[in-house]
Amino acid sequence: MTEFMQYFANGLVNGGIYAIVAIGFITIYSVSKVINMAQGEFLMLGGMITVALIGMELPYGVAALVAILAVTLLGIFLQKYIIANVKKANAISLIILTIGFSTLLQGAASLTWGKDAFSLPPITNSAPLSIAGVNIAMQSVWILGTVLIILVFLWFLMSKTMLGKKITACSINPMAAKLMGISPVKMSMIAFGISGATGAIAGIVIAPLSVTSYDVGVLLGIKGFSAAILGGLGNPIGAAVAAFLIGILESFGAGYISSGMKDAFAFLILIAVLIMKPSGLFGERSVGKGGL
Amino acid sequence: MKVINKWGKGFFLYLFLVLIFPFLPIDEYYRSVAIIIGFHSIVTIGLCLLMGQAGQISLGQAAFFGLGAYTSAVVTAKYGLSPMIGLLIAMIIPAVFAYVLGRAIAGLQGYYLAMATLAFGFIVQIGITEWESVTGGANGMINIPQIAFFGESELRMYYLVWALVTCVLVFSLSLLHSRVGRAFRAIHKSEVAATSMGINVRSFKLSAFIISGIFAGLAGGLYAHFMGILDPQPFGLHESIKFLTMVVIGGMTSIWGALIGAVVINAISEILTVLREYIPFLHGDVDTIVFGGILVLIVMFMPEGLVPKSAAFLQSMKMKKKAARGEEDDQSMERKATT
Repeated sequence: MTEFMQYFANGLVNGGIYAIVAIGFITIYSVSKVINMAQGEFLMLGGMITVALIGMELPYGVAALVAILAVTLLGIFLQKYIIANVKKANAISLIILTIGFSTLLQGAASLTWGKDAFSLPPITNSAPLSIAGVNIAMQSVWILGTVLIILVFLWFLMSKTMLGKKITACSINPMAAKLMGISPVKMSMIAFGISGATGAIAGIVIAPLSVTSYDVGVLLGIKGFSAAILGGLGNPIGAAVAAFLIGILESFGAGYISSGMKDAFAFLILIAVLIMKPSGLFGERSVGKGGL
Repeated sequence: MKVINKWGKGFFLYLFLVLIFPFLPIDEYYRSVAIIIGFHSIVTIGLCLLMGQAGQISLGQAAFFGLGAYTSAVVTAKYGLSPMIGLLIAMIIPAVFAYVLGRAIAGLQGYYLAMATLAFGFIVQIGITEWESVTGGANGMINIPQIAFFGESELRMYYLVWALVTCVLVFSLSLLHSRVGRAFRAIHKSEVAATSMGINVRSFKLSAFIISGIFAGLAGGLYAHFMGILDPQPFGLHESIKFLTMVVIGGMTSIWGALIGAVVINAISEILTVLREYIPFLHGDVDTIVFGGILVLIVMFMPEGLVPKSAAFLQSMKMKKKAARGEEDDQSMERKATT
């Protein structure tokens, strides 16, 4: 039972990270119908820039803030100067474009920081929590807390503020939104900025628990995307639930079946769901066509 | 052989270059580069049929490549079959996988399809790594026999590989000029319209998948016997993206583009390797940066790719020339008429 709870707790933490990535995907997708395959790279950059800045003797908090800001700007740059300039883009060319951008970032990271893995010190250095024999690192609590704060913040932003209403308007009908004086281009830029920022935060909070290196973004990004699809693209709550589900199932799979197969479980679940219910577990209007 | 007539000069130029290449006065190392280009070309031609013609996407093509490589390696090194039979099985196994996968995901489009193929690629790579008793796991396999094609030498391997590339090329070009090719393009334009014209969209998509899987498997089998050793490393997402880059840079809609793309990308890799000796700064994955940059720039500025773009350019040049000559002809006619 202790073992079971331990796996469950580990899965919960991973699931939280996948949830942030998945919601990053959805934030962008709902406004601009773009799947940003470079989402995982936002996490990688968040972690790596923080590590690099701490290496330059900046305080933890400042380093983290600068990293978040830098990645946010990168997200906006990606939308404004690259994606907005693509003419006649369909889903396939957008995938190719963002995959290209993600490979570019990975290459740049490996050129700048090398291929070694780095680690961040944990945010607080206290002993792990022990609840009924289950050990939970303090950092995991930080991660879950951050995930919850981000989720609540995004929910608040989307449903309670004018900005959120504008973004929602663009995602429902860009033409009508334009007629109401809302600029869909600007809203996409904001969406890219938001998912850059949340991605960077996620990258920073997981760096102390698992190491960070130039290629951590790939798997994180893909699993987040799996969660987004599982939950039904465009449905943030579904995506968050799916993300936790993937995290937990993966953790059980790694614990009870084979740790080497850990990553395969997430993908097997994904393919199974795509085959049986392509609209995702929680149903969604979209069928993945996308395009500008 | 309609295709050969249609392509006329281009095709003979290609044959000439392929035949003469090993005798060019360059380092023998480049012969093995040319062999690798041959493997890549076979994969990219298949991927081009799938992407450019049928309008699907595969982010897991390296998985079929790996399946082919491991299949051939295992049946020859472990069970002592001849490499030729190994190659045959190396086409069958990926075809079966492509059939099952294609069957399952034939209803998916766009992002969902991309994701499903990407997931498949990961699963295969992880599967190869974990199935240690057969594949040797992360340590890989050694002592994979060479192909005896009138004896074992690199020159013979070169001709064998490029003969196969030529077969694949002619097959694909002929396919495009057949009903199948037209059906692929119809599906690309609009699945609904294609269905209403009586095209069974699912089965054509499936066949595009299977063909591309077979080609990748064949290339993988050849790769295994050429290298003699295997590990799961080169069959992941990175390699799939490399194949994608080759197809995209050459031009998705053109079979020749796939071939040219394979040549261009390998040439860039070689140039970077040479440059690395002189510029120590280029230590990391410079080629990753370059490939990523190419993908972004091509989609932004030249979505049709190199070959269709230059074909269109040549065409417009010809038209201009013709127009100029036409005017001259008119003038001379007038002169004749007056004299």
